Amino acid sequence: MKKYSKAMLSLVRSVTWLFSITAVMCVSSVQAQQINPLESDPRAARAGGVLFRSQCATCHGGDAKGITGIDAPDLTSIWAAEGTTDERVFQTIRNGVPGSIMPAHGFTDPETWMLVSYLRSVAATGATEFSGDAVRGSSLFLSNCSRCHRVKGEGGSLGPDLSQITSRRSAAALINSVREPSAVIARRYYPVSVVFEDPGAGDGGRRQRVQGTLKSEDAFSIQMMDTNQQLRAFMKADLLEFLRESESLMPAFSRTDLSSAELEDILTFLQSQL
Amino acid sequence: MTFLQGSMDKLAHRWLAALALALALAAVLPLRAQAQDNTGPVYDDILQGFADSERWLTYSGDYSGKRHSPLTQINADNIKSLRPEWTFQTGTTTRGRGFETTPLVDAGVLYVTGSNNYAWAIDARTGRAFWQYRRNLPSDLTYGASAPVNRGFGMLGNSLFMVTLDAHLLSFDRRSGDILWDVVLADYRQGYAATLAPLVLDNKVIVGISGGEYATRGFIDAYDPTTGDRLWRFNTIPGPGEPGSETWPDDPEVLARGGGGTWMNGSYDPELNLIYWGVGNPNPDYYGDLRPGDNLYTNSIVALDADSGELRWHYQFTPHDLNDWDSNHIPVLADIEWEGSLRRVVMLANRNGFFYVMDRVSGELLLGTPFTATTWAREIGADGRPIVLNDGSKGCLPDPWGSTNFMPPSYYPELGLFYVTARETCATYVPEEPTLVPGQSSFGGVVFIDSEKGSGALRALDVQTGDLRWEFTYPSPTFGGVLTTAAGLVFAGDHEGNFMAFDAVSGENLWHYQTGSRIWGAAAMTYMLDGRQYVLIPSGTTLTAFALPVR
Repeated sequence: MKKYSKAMLSLVRSVTWLFSITAVMCVSSVQAQQINPLESDPRAARAGGVLFRSQCATCHGGDAKGITGIDAPDLTSIWAAEGTTDERVFQTIRNGVPGSIMPAHGFTDPETWMLVSYLRSVAATGATEFSGDAVRGSSLFLSNCSRCHRVKGEGGSLGPDLSQITSRRSAAALINSVREPSAVIARRYYPVSVVFEDPGAGDGGRRQRVQGTLKSEDAFSIQMMDTNQQLRAFMKADLLEFLRESESLMPAFSRTDLSSAELEDILTFLQSQL
Repeated sequence: MTFLQGSMDKLAHRWLAALALALALAAVLPLRAQAQDNTGPVYDDILQGFADSERWLTYSGDYSGKRHSPLTQINADNIKSLRPEWTFQTGTTTRGRGFETTPLVDAGVLYVTGSNNYAWAIDARTGRAFWQYRRNLPSDLTYGASAPVNRGFGMLGNSLFMVTLDAHLLSFDRRSGDILWDVVLADYRQGYAATLAPLVLDNKVIVGISGGEYATRGFIDAYDPTTGDRLWRFNTIPGPGEPGSETWPDDPEVLARGGGGTWMNGSYDPELNLIYWGVGNPNPDYYGDLRPGDNLYTNSIVALDADSGELRWHYQFTPHDLNDWDSNHIPVLADIEWEGSLRRVVMLANRNGFFYVMDRVSGELLLGTPFTATTWAREIGADGRPIVLNDGSKGCLPDPWGSTNFMPPSYYPELGLFYVTARETCATYVPEEPTLVPGQSSFGGVVFIDSEKGSGALRALDVQTGDLRWEFTYPSPTFGGVLTTAAGLVFAGDHEGNFMAFDAVSGENLWHYQTGSRIWGAAAMTYMLDGRQYVLIPSGTTLTAFALPVR
C-alpha cells in the first residue's frame, strides 16, 4: 500500500513535469521539429530511459543493444549510420517500420523526444580524439589490417567494416580488440572450421578443412565466409567435423607486433576517414 | 364454347400449376441441396474430433488438445517425396509476427486468420482465396499493437468466430466473410486485446483475453453463438473478499489490475463438462513488491464448469511469479495408465521449465518434473509448491519467453510420449518499480538476455516419469509447435524456418523443408482431400501445403 502510494506520487510528479514540457513544446512547435526540444534537459534522457525499459526493452533489450532472434536492432549504434538525425529517430518511433515487427507508437511528442534523448545518451560513441600520424597510420593499416577490414569501400571483408568504428567504440575497446581480438567477437564473425571429404579431389576423395566466419546456421546447414573471403555453404550431414573456435581469425597484435604509437597512428587514420 | 372455355381454363390452370410447381422446385431443390452441403459442422461433429478425415474443426483438431491426427497416408517410408503443393501469402505488408494460426477446414475450404486481424476463406486444393476480411483497427491499440497476431477461428454451422486486437469477438458468415455480430470483450484502451482461437462448445463460444503486461484484470467468457450475448464470465483475479483474494494485498485497486491474462485457448472434457484453461502472469510482471502473496489465479490452470463458468479446481505452477512465466499453454487431456489404474489426466509443459501431469477430475498433482536445465527449481515439494533454489540471485533464469510457450505440444497416446518445444535460455531480471498509467504497459523492470547461451530443442517426454526419450536440438530458442500423426511421425517447426518430420519413436529426422521464415507459435495441421493427405504449416506470412506427388 505504501509502495503504491509512492508509485502514484512519482506518477503525479512526472505528469506535472510533462505539463511543463508540453508548454515548452507549444512555444517551439512553430518551428520545424528538426532538433530535439528537450536536448538540453538532462531529465529527458532519464525519463526516456524509464519509458524505454517499459515500452521498448522487450524487443530491443534492457541495454538497447538488441536481442538475437528478434529482428530488433542494436540501438546504441544507430547514430553512427549516415543520415541518422533526431528527427528521423523521432519519426521511426512514431511511425514504426512498415513491414517489420516495429509498430507505430502513440507516444506524445514530449515522450517521443524523451526516448530520442535516452537513445542519444546510450549511443556507443568514441569521443576520444586520437593524436597520432594519420599518414603513417594509413600505411600501417594497409599492411596489417586491410586484407580483412574495409574502410570507405577499400579493403577486405573477412572482418567488420571499420569506416565508422571510431565513432562507435571507445578508445579502450578499440585497443582491446586489437590486442585481444578473441575476448569479444562480434556477431556474424564467429570463427568456425569445417572438415569434409572433397569428392572431386581424386580417388576416394580428399579430406579438406575450411576455416572462416559463421554467417548463418540452421539445424541442417551452415553459411560461412572462408578465409579467402568466399561465401561457402555446407550441409551439416556432409561434414566430418564442425567446430566452433574460440580464437578469433584476427591475429592478436602484441606491443612488439604493433607499438602503442603505431596503434594510435592507425586509430588516427581511421578517425580521419569519418 | 363454355365447355371448351372451361376445359381451356382447366388446361391453362393445369399448365400454370405445373409451371408454378416446376419453378418452385427449380427454386427450392438446388437451395435444399446446397443447404444440405453447406450447413457446416454441428457440436457433435466437433465432439467427434478427427472422425471425418476431411475436417479439422477446432484449434487442436479435437477438444483434447493432443494435436494427434489418425492420418497415415504420409509415413516414414514415403515422406522423402513430400513436397509443397501450394503456398498462400497474405500479400500484406504486415507488421508483427506473422501467422500464428491453425487453419480450420471443412468441405474443401480452409478458414484462416492472419496477423492484424486479416482473415481468409481459401480453396484447400489450390490455395486460392474465396474472400478476404480486413478489420479497420483503431490507431491507438495497446497490447494489440505489440503482438498483432491471431491464432485462429472457431466454427459452428455456417458461423465463424474470431477475436480481435481491439478486444472484440466477431461472428462471420463463413460463406461470405460478412460480419453477423460484433461484441466488445473489454476496453482495448486500458491494455486489453484478444488473440486466441475461440473454443466452440455446444451453444457456447469460449474466449479469453490478453493484456497482462498492462494494469488489467483477466477473464474467461462464454458467449451465445447465435446472438453474441455473454452467458458467463470467470475473473482470473478474485474480487475483494472472494476466495483467492487472501493471496493478494487487501486493496481493491491491486486486484483490479492484477493481470492474469487468458490469451491461449483451453481444452474441454465433454464427460466432465469441464474446460481447462491457462492463466497468465500477475501485473507488474517483474516487480512483485506491489503485490505480495501467491497472486491467485495467475500462472495457474483453472478447471471451470462449462455451463456456469464456476471454478472446480485450480493448480498454481508459479506462485508470486516475477519472471513473466504466464501459464498460457494448451492443456493436453488424455486417459492414461497411472500406477495400475486408468486416470483422466491433464498434462502440460510450463514456461517455468517443468512438465506436469494432473488428475483432471480432482486437480491432484501426479507429476511435476523439469524438462529443461532450469536452475529456478528442480522439484515440487510435498505441499505441491516448487522448491525455489534460484530466484535469479544465483545466476541466470529462463528468459521471460520461458522454457516453452504457447506453441502447441503434441501427445502420442500409443507411445505415451509428449512432444514439446523446449527453450534453454539465460536471462537476468532487474526489477524496477513501474509507473502505472492506464493503457501503458507496466513490466516493472528490465531483462537482460544472454543470446550466446540460448538454444532450442524438440523433446520427447515419457509422461509416466517426465524422462527425456530423445531430443533434436536447434541452434536457437524456438517457438514452433508440434503435430503428431498415427503414422509414427512428429512434425515440428523451428526458429530458423525449417519444417521437419521425425520418427516418433527414435527421434530420427526424416525430412525437412526450409520455409524461408521462422515458424513462430504455430503448429502444423493435416487433412485428407481427394484421397490425398495434406499437411499445412504457417510460417512468416506464408501458409504452405504439403502432399505426396500424385502417381
